[in-house]
Amino acid sequence: MQTTKHKVGLLFFPAFDWAISPDHPEREERLLYTRDQIMEEGLLDVPGIEEFRPEVATDVQINRAHVCVPSVSNVITESHRIAAGGSIVAADLVLTGKVDRSFALLRPPGHHANRIVHGSRGFCTINNEAIMVEHIRHTYGKNLRIAIVDTDAHHADGTQDIFYNDPGILHISLHQDGRTLYPGTGFINERGGPAAYGQTINVPLPPGTGDEGLLYAVRNLVLPILEEFKPDLIINAAGQDNHYTDPLTNMNVTARGYAQLTELLSPDIVVLEGGYSIEGALPYVNAGLLLALAGLDYSAAREPDWSEDRVRQSPRVTETIKEIVGQLQEMWHTRQDVDLAEVFGNAPIFKRHRRIYYDTDNIMEEQVEEIRMCSSCSGWRSIYSGAAQGVSLGLGRTTMIAAVLVPWHACTKCRAEAEAKFQEAERSGRFRHVYLQDVERDIYRRS
Amino acid sequence: MYIAGIDVGGTNTDAALIKDDVVVATGKVPTRHDDLVESTEAALETILAAYQGSAPLELHLSTTLSTNTIVEGRGDPTAVLAVPGPGMRIEELNLGFPVHILSGSVDHRGREVAGITAHEVQAALDAAQEAGMAALAIVGKFSHRNPTHELQIEALVKEATQKFRHITLGHRLSGRPNFPRRLATSYLNAGVAGQQALFVEMVKRLMIRGRNIGKVFLLKADGGTMTLDDSLARPVETILSGPAASLMGAQALTEHPEGNAVIVDIGGTTTDISVQVAGEPVFERQGAEIAGHKTLVPALFARSIGLGGDSEVRVISPKDGPSRLQIGPKRAGTPAALGGSKVTPTDAAVVLELARIGDVNRAREAIADLGAAMGLGIEAAAEAVIERFTQQLVQEIEDTYTYLESRPVYTISELLAPLDIRPRVLIGLGGPAEVFIPLAGKAMDLTWEVLPCYKEANAIGAAASRPTAAVTLHADTALGRVTVPEMDYMGEIRRAMLFDMKKARAEAMEWAARKGESLGITSLGDIAIMEEESFNMVRGFHTVGRIFMIRAQVRPEVRRITERGKGETLDADYQA
Ligand SMILES: [Zn+2]
Ligand SMILES: [Zn+2]
Repeated sequence: MQTTKHKVGLLFFPAFDWAISPDHPEREERLLYTRDQIMEEGLLDVPGIEEFRPEVATDVQINRAHVCVPSVSNVITESHRIAAGGSIVAADLVLTGKVDRSFALLRPPGHHANRIVHGSRGFCTINNEAIMVEHIRHTYGKNLRIAIVDTDAHHADGTQDIFYNDPGILHISLHQDGRTLYPGTGFINERGGPAAYGQTINVPLPPGTGDEGLLYAVRNLVLPILEEFKPDLIINAAGQDNHYTDPLTNMNVTARGYAQLTELLSPDIVVLEGGYSIEGALPYVNAGLLLALAGLDYSAAREPDWSEDRVRQSPRVTETIKEIVGQLQEMWHTRQDVDLAEVFGNAPIFKRHRRIYYDTDNIMEEQVEEIRMCSSCSGWRSIYSGAAQGVSLGLGRTTMIAAVLVPWHACTKCRAEAEAKFQEAERSGRFRHVYLQDVERDIYRRS
Repeated sequence: MYIAGIDVGGTNTDAALIKDDVVVATGKVPTRHDDLVESTEAALETILAAYQGSAPLELHLSTTLSTNTIVEGRGDPTAVLAVPGPGMRIEELNLGFPVHILSGSVDHRGREVAGITAHEVQAALDAAQEAGMAALAIVGKFSHRNPTHELQIEALVKEATQKFRHITLGHRLSGRPNFPRRLATSYLNAGVAGQQALFVEMVKRLMIRGRNIGKVFLLKADGGTMTLDDSLARPVETILSGPAASLMGAQALTEHPEGNAVIVDIGGTTTDISVQVAGEPVFERQGAEIAGHKTLVPALFARSIGLGGDSEVRVISPKDGPSRLQIGPKRAGTPAALGGSKVTPTDAAVVLELARIGDVNRAREAIADLGAAMGLGIEAAAEAVIERFTQQLVQEIEDTYTYLESRPVYTISELLAPLDIRPRVLIGLGGPAEVFIPLAGKAMDLTWEVLPCYKEANAIGAAASRPTAAVTLHADTALGRVTVPEMDYMGEIRRAMLFDMKKARAEAMEWAARKGESLGITSLGDIAIMEEESFNMVRGFHTVGRIFMIRAQVRPEVRRITERGKGETLDADYQA
């Protein structure tokens, strides 16, 4: 007999035999104490919380969200396939109605992984949420509107990159201000590409933000936006490094705050992202989150060293958050009044140039992206990317690739142009590899 | 060496006498719930004539005492003192019994976060005594990592009063995590301890009534045995020993004790499916479930389904498809052949002369009615029933394996290269097994074996069982601490830097041996490490220690019965 308000499917996979390296935060020990807490609390015995086993993501499932250079199996290990595969199972459980909500409590994380993958950055190689979203659209309908709310302390730059120009996706990232933390992006003026302008929303929070500030932003910004966007599905990329004990960040959120956030957001699917206070935070945050997701009383899920004083948010921080939220509210309401020509220019092609550093693997990538402005669809894109090992280009051998991307709902003209471009780039001989990604037709080619 | 096995069941008390690996006598008497000693003695009497040894007789008892006490709610009124600390609220647990909540907490590594408060303990005690509680359970969250709070509370209680008949401390019952299960297990244990003490008294009286009885062991839910004295402290472990005894009987009697097998016990109302992997029985992941309580009592895995010789047989005619038969999950009652009013699978077997029991004509009448509803003749209808039963059985076996194979694992290696648990042999027991096991074996393309249907397979299983015991060692070199909760041990690690996996294993084996000694096990060869894990602890990019968890176990082994001797089989009266 179910005793929870919501039936929850748990995908717990701590990968006890995998680490980036022995002393790395992303190591075997990371979810050990979380397991101990969940087991000791008896949460898996609660009727209404059921545990499931992850699957192993296939190349095709990964290729829907990524262009892996030179190939999927060259950049990832089995652990990444299982984390992505577990996220996919979490989605299937909800979309087939087996459970009301699901929680992919697994590692390694993925939200710093961009569409083009040369290696690992920010402990991430492939993007679990993005792979899950493309699986969902493939299996359950390409018209599904999906909102991703990323509450990790770091800006979800990878997820932002993948869905930057995707009108079907709303991406909200709440994080510690990029001026004070890796990856140094996620400012309020990053608002999405020409076909999805305003659907990328960044909420940079000042260091010292606690439960009060985070929940203020959720209540006054995130929830009203969700209300208006009316997504078919809400995904919470639930990093736990906003916690007051996290060694990598400077935030003040508590386990209770995370549980309240979960209750307010009512996500359909939760996917763990970062969080490296493996003893002081994760056991309590995960227990609280699971309780909140199931609709159980989480008021006693509290850290042993919690005290009101320790996590109090300063009035200055509160003021700053109110200002940012106010600004973002205004930007959301007026997003359709913005003259896109002013933002993206009048040319038929919008170009952006970026340098992307892969801190985990010490790779520097230089990237030019071209988005076609199309009135019938979101427009096909081409990405030229060169990457080399070493801090700056020139230290190692540079690998140059080109990728041609055909979006969901592509018009006939865009698809034909993209295919022509793929052949042209292939013939040019300028690139080590040329990739074609046609997600709707599920075609992934590499020259 | 002679061993007597006695299974005190709800209806009958069965007895079997084995000499080395041969069954030399079996017997049966009705169980007298008003005088268990009397009927146990009577059962023993039926086999004693065959006992010609001079060495004392070893007695293995499987009783339903604890099971019945719990199921019927006849345990002593028990107060539970709990130290939950932060986490899930106890009110959300639906435990089914009240709990006094005390302050204090211990974290996942066994560090004390907050101490207990003496006056709270006193207040809880006063309330418990006021309410007329006779037994006490003291349970802390993470007490398997640090039992100090439980021990402190026990000391306070003993200082204050000697009135409780029994006190159970959670950590002594299991080294496994799961606070709600620890609560339930401790509550049940404390509640049945009083009855168990009376029972042990009775057994001791039985022993001194001029018979040459030596050691007495009790059967447990994990198919192993425990000593009488041990049962005083841990009576809850004797729950569900009846089904365990049958399964141990099957393991003792099968020609396929090695390798992978599925063991199917087909009864009248239900069929129990159990699994053997590489010659060892599969256990429940966390523990037995009884009367709605989830416990930490180690138990053999069994999936019970509503399918048996007396199951209801129905014709289902959906609007949008062909009619089909559905057997079970409800029981129809006595088969028509035996005087019942409804058609059952047993009647189909009787019609087809697969079983020779009861009145064939009555069985034919019942099957004829069913056939009429299906547009089939008598034989065809009977065949359809047998075929459908087999199909459902095969499906349930398949589902059992799917379930076991989808049990979560936490390492990449286990996920990518799962253990092969699929059966090579289908072993059947129970009355209807003769009919259905060959058919199911054929459908599943498995070698099959139907165990000769001893009336006393359970008593034989009890006799053939051996002691089991497990210890859990948790070592945390950063804290410099080792705990073995089952042995009430918490100590320091000397030279933590040198404490490695080898040392951890050796220490766990030593504790298991010490535990084994108390059970009469002398050979270290019987002890095996069942689970182990170790983690490097890194803080701020430096390794500060290691965590080890080792579970060492005295293996659940069973004596092989190679010669079936004079066991009385049920061939003559196929019975559920
Ligand atoms: Zn993060
Ligand atoms: Zn187009």
